[in-house]
Amino acid sequence: MHGWIGKVLRVNLSTGKVSTEPLDLDRAKDYLGARGLGTKYFCDEVDPKVDPLSPDNKLIFAPGPLTGTYAPSGGRYNVCTKGPLNGTIAASNSGGTWGPELKFAGYDMLIVEGKAPKPVYLWIRDSSVEIRDAGPLWGKIVPDTQDAICAATDADAKVACIGPAGENQVLFAAIMNDMHRAAGRSGVGAVMGSKNLKAVAVRGNGSVTCADHEAFLAAVMDARQKIQAHPVGGTGFRLYGSQILMNIINQVGASPTRNWQDGFFPNADKVSGETLAANQLQRPKGCFSCIISCGRVTKVTNPKYKGEGEGPEYETAWGFGGDCGVDNFDAGIKANYYCNEYGMDTITMGSTVACAMELYEKGFITLEDTGGIALNWGDGDAMLEMVRLTGVGEGFGKKLGQGSYRLAESYGHPELSMTVKKQEMPAYDARAIQGVGLNYATSNRGGCHMRGYTIETEVLGNPVFGPKVDQHTIDGKPQICINWQNLTAALDATGSCQFTTFGIAADELAAMLGPLTGIEYTAEDFLKCGDRIWNLERLFNLKAGFTAKDDTLPPRMLKEPIKTGPSKGKVNLLPEMLPEYYRLRGWDENGVPTPAKLQELGLSA
Amino acid sequence: MKILYFALLRDITHKKEEDWHQPEATLGDLLRDLVAQYGHEFEHWVLKDGDLWNLVIILVNGQDVRQMQKLKTPLAATDSVVIFPPLGGG
Repeated sequence: MHGWIGKVLRVNLSTGKVSTEPLDLDRAKDYLGARGLGTKYFCDEVDPKVDPLSPDNKLIFAPGPLTGTYAPSGGRYNVCTKGPLNGTIAASNSGGTWGPELKFAGYDMLIVEGKAPKPVYLWIRDSSVEIRDAGPLWGKIVPDTQDAICAATDADAKVACIGPAGENQVLFAAIMNDMHRAAGRSGVGAVMGSKNLKAVAVRGNGSVTCADHEAFLAAVMDARQKIQAHPVGGTGFRLYGSQILMNIINQVGASPTRNWQDGFFPNADKVSGETLAANQLQRPKGCFSCIISCGRVTKVTNPKYKGEGEGPEYETAWGFGGDCGVDNFDAGIKANYYCNEYGMDTITMGSTVACAMELYEKGFITLEDTGGIALNWGDGDAMLEMVRLTGVGEGFGKKLGQGSYRLAESYGHPELSMTVKKQEMPAYDARAIQGVGLNYATSNRGGCHMRGYTIETEVLGNPVFGPKVDQHTIDGKPQICINWQNLTAALDATGSCQFTTFGIAADELAAMLGPLTGIEYTAEDFLKCGDRIWNLERLFNLKAGFTAKDDTLPPRMLKEPIKTGPSKGKVNLLPEMLPEYYRLRGWDENGVPTPAKLQELGLSA
Repeated sequence: MKILYFALLRDITHKKEEDWHQPEATLGDLLRDLVAQYGHEFEHWVLKDGDLWNLVIILVNGQDVRQMQKLKTPLAATDSVVIFPPLGGG
């Protein structure tokens, strides 16, 4: 077996049993790896009705076939589980070096089952797997956890862990690896915490083999050259990171502001990638085998917010920026550092604070609820304290730790939660960019841009799927949305990075998979893998109880026009796009895949 | 009219914004003027073979000129023109 290692590691924390089994190559061919193969294994083993925080839920750590190779940005892994934030299928992916290390240790996948009777961590060194006591680590923040585990195991061990937020089962807790990289969305860290699993440390001495090394090298070099030649993949990310989006998204009137009450933030430039590059940026940083280097190593010298770390990404800068009406960039970056230390998703955290600010503005919560902290728009210090309280699980932070939907619902105003399927939407206003609204509404893990990044076609003009189209029209958007969703699902399943689409796409990814694995994939085969993964996720959600009624957007997106800026007056036209989306997907009017569609993809209902 | 620069174009022009005065102009007129003023490096990020680069993002009053008349897009004295080099994220 090439590309894949050929072995799955299974650990049952209830019984302490550790076992290995051969990787099922038939499933690997169809689902590739990472988000695809991990989800397939998960769906085959777990009841969709499972309580996400019960021992019966499983947690699958899965790199892909390109992970650990010199394919561009071949450093990612996915965490597949049923997410506690909203009960959908959750696949949250992360870069860094942890994913490759799991393969070097000899595994394509780690399946964690059950619940340990007391806090533990896993120490995987090649074929040696130990379940170790994590009692002294419980309560430690992420950097201290990593340092302690490396001291106890191997200085070069790669550590994926949770912080106090995961232990406290904050519903949007992340799994952090390499200190600053996050499998951030859907609350996968809370599932890890529910299993009393503090960390997984890995060290491996193996490697990934190729079926045809010379041909693989040629395909890799072609892909790398295309990314390097692309002005964004080769230059833009390194200079400014993803944060360069702040100004353009604002200038097209799509920057959600003050909990999406508006779509234009006048002070966006104060929290932009340009400002970051001029002030807090120390250097760019790449993940394993990455030539893009979007990572931001940053330092805040302002004594009030002093700190060092990595970030912010665009979504984070928005969540702790315009969404809370905050233009105090140092406070926003400090909020990012807190999230990394406590182990929390920055998108949901920022959006939940924004929701709380609107509840406070409208008088639905008072100082009595917030512990005496006035949650006024633009108050970076109040925002920062809310993040800290959530991280440590104290005071009003306990309510914030449930996410914005449960927060707003508990005060009788769920309509003020800017969520889809109870997961917070990220930093692109669905009223200003029609296709992104359709993507949010149909995303298999709830509000998320990384399930189908139509922004490249609707705003940026990156010609992966044809020329740039008008962001405000709905013509052709269902097909554009499906194209991006399928490509992203397949790309995620390889173990590569979404940002490689600024240079390569299905042709190049398929061209690398063939000589790596010895199994020929055309671009069409590759995209069909994505379609299959998407439909598998959809089937899981349907069995979990979701219906077409859940494929919607917050009422504000459909009924409250943007007030100012270039997209003034716009709302999202989802009802006009959704039927066509279902039809093109091969689903019936209830959003259920038809028998013919399932047969085409080799799926069963 | 007001011209706003972002990302690398700020480094090239050493400006965040400036005013430009020319009645009855098109976007092409403006870009030719800016290339003359800021040179080859500016041209590199904006034009390809004399035409508008399909990856450069230029907005006139928030509307993308790729959905307008590209280089022939007419400009008025009260317009706001924002110019981004190719960029991305997620």
